[in-house]
Amino acid sequence: MLSSFSVDGGMLLAGIGQTLYMTLASALLAYLIGLPLGVLLAVTAPEGIRPLRMLNTVLGFVVNVLRSVPFLILLILVIPLTRAIMGTSLGPSATVVPLTVAAAPFVARLVEASLAEVDQGVVEAAWSMGASPFKIIMKVLLPEARSSLLLGATIAAITILGYSAMSGIVGGGGLGDIAIRYGYYRYETSVMFVSVALLVVIVMVLQALGNRWARSIDKKASAPSGMAFGLFGSGMPLGGRKAEKIGQSAVPAENKDEDAAT
Amino acid sequence: MPPILAIEKLSKSFPAVRAGDDVRALSDIDLFIEEGEIFGIIGKSGAGKSTLVRCINFLERPTSGEIVFNGVCLSSLSKAELYHTRQSMGMIFQQFNLLAQRNALRNICFPLEVAGWDRQKARQRASELLELVGMSDKAGAYPAQLSGGQRQRVAIARAIAANPRILLCDEATSALDPETTHSILALLKDINARYGITIIVITHEMPVIEQIATRLAVLDEGRIVEAGRTSEVFAAPQSEAARRMLVRPQHEDGLIAAAARRYFESQGMALEEVIRDYAQ
Repeated sequence: MLSSFSVDGGMLLAGIGQTLYMTLASALLAYLIGLPLGVLLAVTAPEGIRPLRMLNTVLGFVVNVLRSVPFLILLILVIPLTRAIMGTSLGPSATVVPLTVAAAPFVARLVEASLAEVDQGVVEAAWSMGASPFKIIMKVLLPEARSSLLLGATIAAITILGYSAMSGIVGGGGLGDIAIRYGYYRYETSVMFVSVALLVVIVMVLQALGNRWARSIDKKASAPSGMAFGLFGSGMPLGGRKAEKIGQSAVPAENKDEDAAT
Repeated sequence: MPPILAIEKLSKSFPAVRAGDDVRALSDIDLFIEEGEIFGIIGKSGAGKSTLVRCINFLERPTSGEIVFNGVCLSSLSKAELYHTRQSMGMIFQQFNLLAQRNALRNICFPLEVAGWDRQKARQRASELLELVGMSDKAGAYPAQLSGGQRQRVAIARAIAANPRILLCDEATSALDPETTHSILALLKDINARYGITIIVITHEMPVIEQIATRLAVLDEGRIVEAGRTSEVFAAPQSEAARRMLVRPQHEDGLIAAAARRYFESQGMALEEVIRDYAQ
């Protein structure tokens, strides 16, 4: 069966291009909305630097509602919006709209979680030096969370990639579209397999790149950053980070000093 | 000369976790800190030390009472004014609280950036301070690459970078071994002597007070139970809490010392004298 269908390389290449375009454009737009929203969620939380109960509750509610709508439903629900913005509801560019709507609240939660991880003691130190809430956000929370934010962005990009494949159902373009049209509707299984394999490769590369980049900018890990692990070696990013934290605490934090003589 | 810092009738309560009475952390604290002195506040854990030091720079807002810093009532300040005032109040912590993603030099630049210094000037000042704390060779090192004592040195440099009038030390040596503690306290003493920065040291460790403080207050269950010159309080603690804190009852050594002190005092001698004679 497989050999009786030739796989159209040009089409797949275009599919890869479209998938990457949708993923990156949507991720960018989702961060444009989700990053400020996530900062607001973290900052106004009860344990945040500027607790605002009402605002936090309302924002959290909106985010939760948006996140609980299944993407396939959202895809259809926002068609009028997509038409209003893009003039059409078909093709990769149009798909960016529902992808952004779906990803922004997810990104907001990822950002919120990253910022909540920042050491409260460091925030307190910044207060003690007279920093304003705005300066604490810009100079403490975001820079201190940068590695975690980057890992979050990797997760977001991969999630968006998965969603973008789903949009093939309504003619969204990209590899998912190819897999559905050829593999599902026309029983060209080989095309489906190849496009799915390509999706898998893209996910793995994205994850590995994200892990490496996040690791290389994180100065918290005392081991020199960089080549300590292979391209696919670190697996799940959260698992990797957890292990790192455990590793850190296993080292006695305040051991003997060399500078005692001074 | 008016005191640099006056703590007047200060009380702090925290809302009860469940319905009922609020938790009273501090009651009617009155303290006057003179410009240029090193003032120690000692108390066991739970005595309210950390709450007290956080009330001084309004990281915690007092429930009642007043903090008068350099003639200004902190409660009368707007938020912006309070942020500005905090720039003249440095603070160091038990866990150092350095920015993990900034190297030593840029950690010290932080308060200068907050104060609106020019980048170049801030770096210049930070380098001078690194030299002052004996860490010039570690300018590019990140906190994770430094030992506890080195981290606290950077934290001290950071805390005094913006030329504060007062330096608050919250259990600053409690995470360090005795040798390192000694060297950090020596550094604080040196900074006090050189720049005249008033230093307030909060600790549960008697040797810290003994080494560094000119005057001290003993905090017990949210109240000041005793205050005075360090030598005098050590020689003759009036309160039960002070005796407990200052003679280390938790160690056998302390018990022996306390027993010896009592014995020699009954013989009309001070334990310190006996020890000095013995050492010679």
